[in-house]
Amino acid sequence: MALSWKSTPNKKNVSKKKHNEDDRISTMIEHPSVGDRIVDVIVILLCALVAFCSIIPMWHVLMSSFSDGQALLAKEGLVLWPVGEFNLEGYAHIFKDTSIIDGYGNTIFYTVTSVALGFMIAAMGGYAISRQTRLKTPMILFLTATMLFGGGMVPTYMVINALGWVETPLALVIPGCTNGMFSIMMMNAFNSVPHEMYEAARIDGAGHFTTMWKIMLPQAMNLGSVIILNSVIAAWNAWLPASIYVPRSRHLWPLQLVINQIINENKDFLNSANPDYSKYLIQFAAIIVAAAPLILLFPFFQNKLEKGVIGGGVKG
Amino acid sequence: MAKKDKLFQTPKVPWKKDFKTNWGVYLMFIPIFLYTLVLHYVPMFGIVMAFEDYDINKGYFKSPWVGMANFVELFSGSDFPRAIFNTVVIALLKCTVGFVMPILFACLLSLLRSKKYKRTVQTSSYLPNFVAAVIVCFLVQEFVKQDGPITLLLHHLFGVENSNLLADPNPPTFWIIYLVMGIWQGIGWGSIMYVAAIATVSGDLHEAAAIDGATRLQRLTKITIPCIMPTIVMMFVLGIGTSFAAGYDNILLLYMPTTYPVADTIYTYTYRLAFAAGGARDYSLSAASGLFQSIVGTILLMGSNYMSKKASGSSLF
Repeated sequence: MALSWKSTPNKKNVSKKKHNEDDRISTMIEHPSVGDRIVDVIVILLCALVAFCSIIPMWHVLMSSFSDGQALLAKEGLVLWPVGEFNLEGYAHIFKDTSIIDGYGNTIFYTVTSVALGFMIAAMGGYAISRQTRLKTPMILFLTATMLFGGGMVPTYMVINALGWVETPLALVIPGCTNGMFSIMMMNAFNSVPHEMYEAARIDGAGHFTTMWKIMLPQAMNLGSVIILNSVIAAWNAWLPASIYVPRSRHLWPLQLVINQIINENKDFLNSANPDYSKYLIQFAAIIVAAAPLILLFPFFQNKLEKGVIGGGVKG
Repeated sequence: MAKKDKLFQTPKVPWKKDFKTNWGVYLMFIPIFLYTLVLHYVPMFGIVMAFEDYDINKGYFKSPWVGMANFVELFSGSDFPRAIFNTVVIALLKCTVGFVMPILFACLLSLLRSKKYKRTVQTSSYLPNFVAAVIVCFLVQEFVKQDGPITLLLHHLFGVENSNLLADPNPPTFWIIYLVMGIWQGIGWGSIMYVAAIATVSGDLHEAAAIDGATRLQRLTKITIPCIMPTIVMMFVLGIGTSFAAGYDNILLLYMPTTYPVADTIYTYTYRLAFAAGGARDYSLSAASGLFQSIVGTILLMGSNYMSKKASGSSLF
């Protein structure tokens, strides 16, 4: 077959092997020389530098959010510890300003609905193209072609405009919810489910939808959960679709667009006549509140997401 | 996989019988079929507007046909060629410096002796990948503004003027900022592939080399890197394939009219023509610009896919 989106065979064996090799290298008998020791130190320091650079910007924001507005504006360089008196005024402002709370609600709504809808569509499509039917190859080609060429920003906008979705939540839920690649990944997942399971379910009289939902999907969830996680991350962090499709309906804005607006308003903060310094803190507090869910949750899903990158070729 | 395919391949049944037994399967394909048709294929035909003087009230069929006039207009101006140049520069930087950094990081990780420390470093390096684009761009603005941490660091180390670096309209400041931002976001996440590849390198090779007296650095350059070369080649080819199509939307959050000469790319130009607040809303010109980018992107993707097939036997399509 021309189309072969092969998943890595025997992922379990690979990871098992990895552990063995790792153990062997670390238990290998070595007599480290002075040069080796120097290399060790340099490597450890460089790795620490990468880790430091990865974390410090968000730390800077976190500490800024606890700072005093006026002192923070005057502060130069990195904020490693709250500047001025420790306070939570920025967070207090979030609860006064309804746009952030609305944005939070909107983001949750868009994320949940679009991921649920998108995964349903992708899973059903993936099941359909994993079965042996006469239209199998045309169906796969139909989906693969979308990965090669797209209409582009403006023609897509025109279609969504013609559907009457501009300035409505539909434009943020449906258009980006899934894609052909997810379906093809689900096809691979369904392909690796033992054929006997499928036959048994069909012989027992289960319809295709029941077979997929009750029998096949639970076994395909290894890859399926990777798709869901990646979709959630993408949906939570998205800002561009909203800026294109709902620019004038502020009550529909997701959190990211609200934050962008606050950041832009704060850019010429000092030019305002009588600045309320605590308002300068809102952007930092809002960023922490927006980023916290993903950052706190991702360590729990780290292994799954890593496997997804290796096996499925998904860009997170 | 191929063996399994053969095993379960049903013989060619007549169409009528196929539909009778598989109508349920086809029914389940309908949602993704409609979704793809309406949101991917209809816009593809909507590209005709790039050859029209499109009027949103008249639609595709009644807007006057102007042929290649939009493209002539694009290429005869100075903004579009400038955008192409900037796109090429940024794509080249991403495919060279931006591509090498995750590999170097994976090699560094492989030299660490402590597994616990390695895991900690890896986990922290993933963090930027989960930070939203809006926030990343805010961080960039915050760090390179006047008196920002990076500005001050460069000021004290190299005597760079203490001013907002993002407002610098001279090359290569903006390109470097955008490149470093991409590296910061992707170094940990991009290294996963290579860390996995390094883990599968046979320990026998390392042991034999160590017995023969090879140092760890020698083993890295003579064993590890040659062993993961297929992965590197594959990722490089795919990187080229997608370099033109993706990763320019963050510029929308970072550039400003004074830095258009260095920061404007085809993507941002396309966006600005159609959607910028108070902009011209020239949809036809924007569609033409977008079409140019799509075509170049598709050529690169197909070319790189072909090369990947030749070089390593694995391909995307």
